Amino acid sequence: MLAQVFLNALFLSSIYCLMALGLTIILGVMDIADFAQAGLYMLGAYVAFFVCQVLGAGFLVAVLIAMIATGVVGVVNNTLVYQPVLKRGANTLIAALGILLIIQNLALLIFGPDYQTYHLAFGEGKIELFGGTITVYKTMIIVVTALLAPAVWLFLSKTKIGKAIRAVSQDKEGASLVGISGDKVSIFTFCLGTMFSGLSGAFLSPIYAFDAFFGSQFIVKSLTIVIFGGLGSLRGAVVGALIIGIGEDMIAGYWSTEYSSLLTFVLLILILFVRPQGIFGRRPA
Amino acid sequence: MTKPVKIGVAVALLLLSLLLPYLFSSMLIRHFIVLIAINIVLVMGLDIVVGHLGLISLGHAGFMGIGAYACAISVMNHDAPFLLGLLLAVLCAGLAGFIVGYPSINLRGHYFVIVTFISGIIFNLFFTNLISITKGPMGMPGIPPPSIGFGDRFSIVVDSKVSYYYLVWVFIVIVGFVKIRFNHSKIGRAMSAIREDEDLARSIGVRVHFYKVLGFVFSTAIAGLSGGLYAHYFRFIGPDSFTLFQSFNAFVMNLVGGMGTVAGPIIGPALLTLIDEVFQLFKPEYARILFGVFLILIILYMPKGIAGLVKERMGGRTWSQKKAVS
Repeated sequence: MLAQVFLNALFLSSIYCLMALGLTIILGVMDIADFAQAGLYMLGAYVAFFVCQVLGAGFLVAVLIAMIATGVVGVVNNTLVYQPVLKRGANTLIAALGILLIIQNLALLIFGPDYQTYHLAFGEGKIELFGGTITVYKTMIIVVTALLAPAVWLFLSKTKIGKAIRAVSQDKEGASLVGISGDKVSIFTFCLGTMFSGLSGAFLSPIYAFDAFFGSQFIVKSLTIVIFGGLGSLRGAVVGALIIGIGEDMIAGYWSTEYSSLLTFVLLILILFVRPQGIFGRRPA
Repeated sequence: MTKPVKIGVAVALLLLSLLLPYLFSSMLIRHFIVLIAINIVLVMGLDIVVGHLGLISLGHAGFMGIGAYACAISVMNHDAPFLLGLLLAVLCAGLAGFIVGYPSINLRGHYFVIVTFISGIIFNLFFTNLISITKGPMGMPGIPPPSIGFGDRFSIVVDSKVSYYYLVWVFIVIVGFVKIRFNHSKIGRAMSAIREDEDLARSIGVRVHFYKVLGFVFSTAIAGLSGGLYAHYFRFIGPDSFTLFQSFNAFVMNLVGGMGTVAGPIIGPALLTLIDEVFQLFKPEYARILFGVFLILIILYMPKGIAGLVKERMGGRTWSQKKAVS
């Protein structure tokens, strides 16, 4: 029982982790709480579904196309909405809500109100681990996340672009003084962050039934994780995702599924009382 | 405008609002008018957070829902009189506002908005999952129309659309009066000071945390009031009545109407409820896409909303302009 719950929890944590990474990168660098990513999870799921089922391509191709699609939408959001809003000093969060409303309802118009489900040809096989079973597909997602999270960290700390991104997140004016273009960095950050949301949406699509409002329940979790771990902190996103994913599945397994979401709320209130900047967050200046 | 003119206009508008339901004989339009009135109560409450404190709350539909359930449950299951139920609605929503607001209201940046956003969703989870109390996703049908008074013999049953409008109207006038007097009170001035510069306000001895929590609790309590009124008007409530989208809606209404004004929370709901309900008749998605576009355009080009725009055109100065002059 414990092993089974733990394996499921690991899978859930991986998805949460991917979502939280996408949010936290944008939040940390651009200081934009990109609520619109709820729409991008949904978009990723729909794109993966269409490429897989209607066009009949392989799942990996579908995931790649979903990532590209959400990346493009993310960059468009950035240039068309967030940058003008930032220039006028208005609240980006309200703009994000506006985008979310537009994306979700466009999807509702185009795809209709029905839930979509589909099955993948592969990944149905099961693996036995410590007395629990898990599908190959879920294992694959766990492995991909376990590889991606350190890769993002390496990318941000070692490569030139990564260093530029971190420089902008620490001091925008200072970065522009040494010749880092804030606009280019913002486009790149948005591309990277929203690709994560597309990835997680595409990964979820064969398992969960999804509709136009599919992302709303997940954005709550990933926002909580980001607050819990500390805004803009990669470590925080990973640790927060593990705690919330495992905690939720434990409650669902041993107590009641209805109250598993309650954990999010309790943890949120708790962390705000004890350490409002999050576990790994920097104290706001 | 001079003071007598202002009072004259206010009285004329009040009289007009009293006659309003009789100007339209269509049931549908009367229904819209009641709906708008209930939304006005909600947005007036929200405006205390948005306009006076300068914060954003995206969870007010959740607090509205708490009020609605508190009122409906106390009236239906415990035979409480309507006004007591309404009082309980206000208290419960205020208490929930305290629990959410006390730890989180001093958080800077995006934190506070995210907290209200999440708490709105969590409250909705409660409505859906506490089946023994709220009957879960099935909702609670058969809420009786409000009866005000003592016993069966000496009470008025508010069961028509017109009479319900007058019931809500009383609350709008009360809340509106409080809001008008707000700017002349110590609490209102403290809140304005906090909105303009929190650190400065703290340095001259304004109890920042106290006033912020007070404002937030007051605001959520009014949201609870509007929830109670909503429950007894529709006579049915379910988790779907108090979703995130309703919170967005209230916020868009406030933004479109104009923050921190008395007229704003009346113009916004009147305009947007009408648009939303008319689109509901055929395709609600278009209205919501339109709301999204409105939201982005307004923060870009009209941050003070319609009421702010009108005020500027009529030569009145907004608060920040007064500050710039002095």
